[in-house]
Amino acid sequence: MLVVVTVVFLLIHLIPGDPVAVILGPEANAQQIEDARRELGLDRPLHEQLLRFYARLLRGDLGRSYFLDRPVTQALWERAEPTLILMLCALFVAVLIGVPAGIVAGAYQGSWWDRGLMTLALLGVCVPGFWLSLNFIYLFSVRLGWLPVAGYASVFQDPVAAARYMLLPAVSLGFNQSALIARIARSCMIEVLRQDYIRTARAKGLAERSVIFLHAFRNALVPVVTVIGITMAILIGGAVVTEIVFNIPGLGRLIISAILRRDYPVVQGVVLLTAAAYMLINLMVDVVYAYIDPRIRYA
Amino acid sequence: MRHVKTTWAAITLAVVALCLTGSVPDATAQKKGGVLKVGNLGEPPTLDVHWTTATITEVLANHIYEGLYSLDAKSQPIPMLAEGMPAVSKDGLTYTFKLRQGIKFHNGKEMTSTDVVASLNRWGAQSTYGKNLYTRVAEVRAVDKYTVQMQVKEKTATVVISLAIPNNAAAIYPKEVVDKFKPAEKATEWIGTGPFKLVEWKPDRHIKMVRFDEYLPRKEAASGYGGRKVVHINELLWMPVPDAATRVAQMETGELDFADDLDLNAYDRLKKTAGVQPIVAKPYYWLVAVFNKKEGLMTNQKLRQAWQAALDMEPIMKNVAGGHAELYRMDSSLAFVENTPWHTKLQGLPWNEHNRDKAKRLLREAGYKGEPIRFMTTQEYKWMYDFALLSKQQLEDAGFTIDLQVVDWATLVKRRNNHKEYDAFTTGIGNAYDPTHHVYLTPNWPGWTDDEDINRLLAELAGEGDYKKRFALWEQVTRTFYDKVPVARYGDLFGLRASRTHVKGFDTTLMRPRFHNVWLDK
Repeated sequence: MLVVVTVVFLLIHLIPGDPVAVILGPEANAQQIEDARRELGLDRPLHEQLLRFYARLLRGDLGRSYFLDRPVTQALWERAEPTLILMLCALFVAVLIGVPAGIVAGAYQGSWWDRGLMTLALLGVCVPGFWLSLNFIYLFSVRLGWLPVAGYASVFQDPVAAARYMLLPAVSLGFNQSALIARIARSCMIEVLRQDYIRTARAKGLAERSVIFLHAFRNALVPVVTVIGITMAILIGGAVVTEIVFNIPGLGRLIISAILRRDYPVVQGVVLLTAAAYMLINLMVDVVYAYIDPRIRYA
Repeated sequence: MRHVKTTWAAITLAVVALCLTGSVPDATAQKKGGVLKVGNLGEPPTLDVHWTTATITEVLANHIYEGLYSLDAKSQPIPMLAEGMPAVSKDGLTYTFKLRQGIKFHNGKEMTSTDVVASLNRWGAQSTYGKNLYTRVAEVRAVDKYTVQMQVKEKTATVVISLAIPNNAAAIYPKEVVDKFKPAEKATEWIGTGPFKLVEWKPDRHIKMVRFDEYLPRKEAASGYGGRKVVHINELLWMPVPDAATRVAQMETGELDFADDLDLNAYDRLKKTAGVQPIVAKPYYWLVAVFNKKEGLMTNQKLRQAWQAALDMEPIMKNVAGGHAELYRMDSSLAFVENTPWHTKLQGLPWNEHNRDKAKRLLREAGYKGEPIRFMTTQEYKWMYDFALLSKQQLEDAGFTIDLQVVDWATLVKRRNNHKEYDAFTTGIGNAYDPTHHVYLTPNWPGWTDDEDINRLLAELAGEGDYKKRFALWEQVTRTFYDKVPVARYGDLFGLRASRTHVKGFDTTLMRPRFHNVWLDK
């Protein structure tokens, strides 16, 4: 964690750019910029700023955003809900499409089902998220008028509006992610279906359905869970493009605007949170492994 | 019978004409109520208008705050919180401002001279225009509860206009807010006297303003940013929508009632959409390449003149405006056409010459050997990148070697303050309401124009009170500008905004949107 913190701090400070010049606007002169830099402590040497940052961090203080006029922790907290909801919905869509598609394609390797689904999966990986999102907006919102273009409503305040706002982003993001899951699930199924115990099961005269779902599927799950874990971690950092196109006030939008404006404390905060989320998700994935595969035991 | 028919025809024609022009208020009474949703490109860096020149802050904050003066439709100062124009002493050194009585802040407190003195002093210490004026101000003091006096050190022509401009404005805050936030510190309590009251700022979600019921409108008719302001809507909801394509789609579906800063390429699409009215925002910016005159190649005046001589503006402007003739204008005046008092019509200026031979001759005279000229631009503002790219082609045809450096905006605004890092950069110049407010003519702004003649003329302009003499001086500044070429002026580019047709009463002639006197007819 310390390494992450330091690397991020140095990286963001080493790229050129000045938050103060952005805050003060295009007509500000050099003197005003200097004064404001002093006010924010940006005129201090980098090592001193880093030490101050460490000191604050030890107290659980991530600093204060230059632009948002509030502590970074508060800014993160405000944006956690939209990102988490989007992540869960997109993950749900991704798993719902990806896992069955992968199983069918794997179980019927070489069939038209396999080819069709894998072509779709290839498209899912290749099609850029923003292109898919904009086309969804054009079709379902502008042309058909079924769903709103963009925005966000909290599921705790207005569940119906929340669902309407979340459907398009979740599907476009989930479709992208489902492609990866489908491909992994397929290759694992193929791998497992070649094993001796599957031949044994078939030799025993078990129905194909039982062979696939009871014997093959569970064994193919471990790598799939890994990919789902990775997907979750990626989405926690904020699905940047989706959040911007669909105007969802989440962490992805926060970090992009923070990078563009060089809001250093916010960038550090989001990266730190993402790193922590990665660790937590890895831990969760390890726990799930043990549940799925009784052979995996942690001492 | 024939007479009746003619009369009916005339009436019908008049009604149709009225409907088509749209500039005359509807015959129906203004409707009260409703929520107006405005999509803009992002979050303001602050709502402390003393603090920044950022346009987005100007647009939002001017709904909450007011100053002693405002600007009318011809960009002339008119009283806002002051009762009338100031009384100026015979020696021209004392300005006495009578304040309007019964003006309430959004916290319920009455505005008095102590608030005004505190606010002006804060503005004078922090704002670009305030600092400029305060170099000549000796003291601002409260005479009585409703009278403020400003003492200037020497005759100053820019007192009232400086107090009236909407950017980085001399907004009046309650004294308690001024006491709490020193000038170099962003205020985070936003209390003004304006027709809208801020109730909620949720970053990346919305900024919510509501009608301020205790607002006391002026009696004079609305004009420009001033005059009588009445708020018909209940709520003004500013929605940050960073993606330009999303803003356009939300206008089409009616999720937004109004959107600002739209991509010029969306113009045709918006024109074809039922229920949407595209609005061309004039003026917006004139495009400019600012030269580094402190260090490097462009300190050479001949080289700058060669740049100016080489450019063929029309194709550049047309391209930047997405091919729409309605979205740009060819003009050499340093003040926009809309800025009536200061627009010049000088003939024979070396602007838009597209004279390649002249440019080549000047390059030879400059002793230029094809050294790369570092020209900085950004893709964050597409128009900047477009005009830089087209300039590069034209300049290289004339013999320049241009090293186009494309960086993000935050990098550009940092680097442009360091004279070692560039030779020229792109930006846009907005409306400056007084000749002394053109930042690119001053030594403290990036590019560092420190020209003896320009400085002398600007100093004379700051002290001269007579408009005719000032205008003559301004014309001299313009001629000197085209001779010295501190920056290369391109054409005027307009902005694009759009409103749903149920939004009525919006003044389309304003450079920045204002939503007082606007109502929803749905």
